[in-house]
Amino acid sequence: MAEISIRYPALMRSSALAVLAYRGRLVVGFLTDLFPFLLMAVWLTVVATAGPPRGWTAADFVAYYAMAAVLMQLSGQHVVWEWDRDLRSGDLSVRLLRPLHPFHQYVASDLGYRVVSLALFVPGLVLVAVLLPVLTLDLTVTRAALAVPATLLAYLVGVLMASIVALLGFWSTQTTNVWMLFWGLGSFTSGWVAPVELMPGWIEAVAPWLPFFTTLGFPVELWTGRMTESESGVHFVVAVGWALLFAAAYTVVWPRAVRRYQAVAG
Amino acid sequence: MVIAVDGLVKHFRVSRRAPGLRASLGGLVRRRYDVVRAVDDVSFEIPEAQVVGFLGPNGAGKTTTLKCLSGLLHPTAGRVSVLGHTPSDRSSAFLEQLSLVMGQRNSLFWDLPALDAFMVNKTIYRIPEPRYRETLDELVDLLDLAPLLDRQVRVLSLGERMRCELAGALLHRPRVLFLDEPTLGLDVTAQAALRGFLADYHRRHGATVLLTSHYMGDVTALAQRVIVIDRGELRFDGDLAALTRRHAQHRVIRLQLSGAVPVDGLGLDVVEHEGLSLSVRVDAARTAEVAARLLATLPVEDLAIEEPPIEDIIRSVFAGG
Repeated sequence: MAEISIRYPALMRSSALAVLAYRGRLVVGFLTDLFPFLLMAVWLTVVATAGPPRGWTAADFVAYYAMAAVLMQLSGQHVVWEWDRDLRSGDLSVRLLRPLHPFHQYVASDLGYRVVSLALFVPGLVLVAVLLPVLTLDLTVTRAALAVPATLLAYLVGVLMASIVALLGFWSTQTTNVWMLFWGLGSFTSGWVAPVELMPGWIEAVAPWLPFFTTLGFPVELWTGRMTESESGVHFVVAVGWALLFAAAYTVVWPRAVRRYQAVAG
Repeated sequence: MVIAVDGLVKHFRVSRRAPGLRASLGGLVRRRYDVVRAVDDVSFEIPEAQVVGFLGPNGAGKTTTLKCLSGLLHPTAGRVSVLGHTPSDRSSAFLEQLSLVMGQRNSLFWDLPALDAFMVNKTIYRIPEPRYRETLDELVDLLDLAPLLDRQVRVLSLGERMRCELAGALLHRPRVLFLDEPTLGLDVTAQAALRGFLADYHRRHGATVLLTSHYMGDVTALAQRVIVIDRGELRFDGDLAALTRRHAQHRVIRLQLSGAVPVDGLGLDVVEHEGLSLSVRVDAARTAEVAARLLATLPVEDLAIEEPPIEDIIRSVFAGG
């Protein structure tokens, strides 16, 4: 594993440099990062017209969706598009010829991209928090110490889940539509459409056990204080469980998938 | 043997559909598939440090074979061994000793200068800093890369990009080098430069090279041996001279005459007759006899015997000649 991890910085660096090569792409990327604030605006309208649902105030929604915007950047789902494009064009051949599993190449590339986008986004968020007192996290040291590994687990589970869906491309060639359907359904349990607490009872009961919540709602609720330290224990167990399950599934599916590779073009 | 291929078979299942909207809609309900026999029972061996030209028309199975040898494709049947590894296992120990350069494929980073891609290769292939510097300096010198290194790959010309591709592929000094149409689309000067570089690189490092190319010049300049494949089947495996001996059934005798002569009554297969220049085609076995007769009967100023172009010989192999 150490052999692999020392290769990450070089790939992350090249990915970050590629992002920095185009100023326009940076600006557009920054604007799409603001997408979660559209949902926030919907919920602020609800609060303004019907009062706080289940005690969720405007400040709660602002903090929730601000952190959701950060976590969205760490969803790892970008790798599906990379796999999909490379499988159809045959560019996967270039990655398969390198002595490093393509999974690591895609993840390192995604992380390099995220480093740049977060380096722009997070300071902007801090600036907004300073200028607008409505954005507060009320973070304790203990909770921060738990939220950081929860965020890392969210990325790990997200990127493993996306990678497994991407492997379907060896059978179906095209996977982005499958992922959009998968992610769209999952967004009802992840905390993306609404905080899970505000969803119908059966979704609220099921969601914490599903991987989608691990990738978004779990770390966001820890960062914003909607989840206490003691409540987080079970979610860590669930998160580690999904990470192990997805990793095992990947190792089972990969050898079967790569046998089907047709290395089209060239 | 560095490369050993025994009964290699690779079949693809490909969907088939007629053009047009109706066929497209029909394809949504019922798909039809064909099995393409890209490589069918091919066997050969290549010892260390040999340069082998891999020839065949489009769709012959050359690239598919290279992809099986480099681990990109899993064979349908047969055994492949490269440097003692089974390529489809794609072990790091195997991939670190190999390079596949595909003329139509960009392995550099499109938006970055080539030097950034070289740095990534240095890390991925775990090249120690002193050796990286030494190899890079050598490649920059041999391929004249200095003016290109700080330019985005996407703004390079095809020839410039291919030189950078080669440098990137050779930085880790692979023991086995697969070249798939490395001079495709390059002008004559760039082709010659690339051939010169490859010959020089092979002399210096003794890599085992398997080269496919549509340009016979690449093969005659670099390869000691040729393997000819057609429709997935091996047609010839041997040195170029043997290929010529076996398949060049004719020679062309070119004559420069000192005076005009009527050629109609000489019983010759005249290929060209213009002024005092005369070219005749003769059976290879009778070349000496016919040349002697021409010297004795015609006012010959100069005579040259030529083998047919290698392209014609290869065509005769494909035609089953």
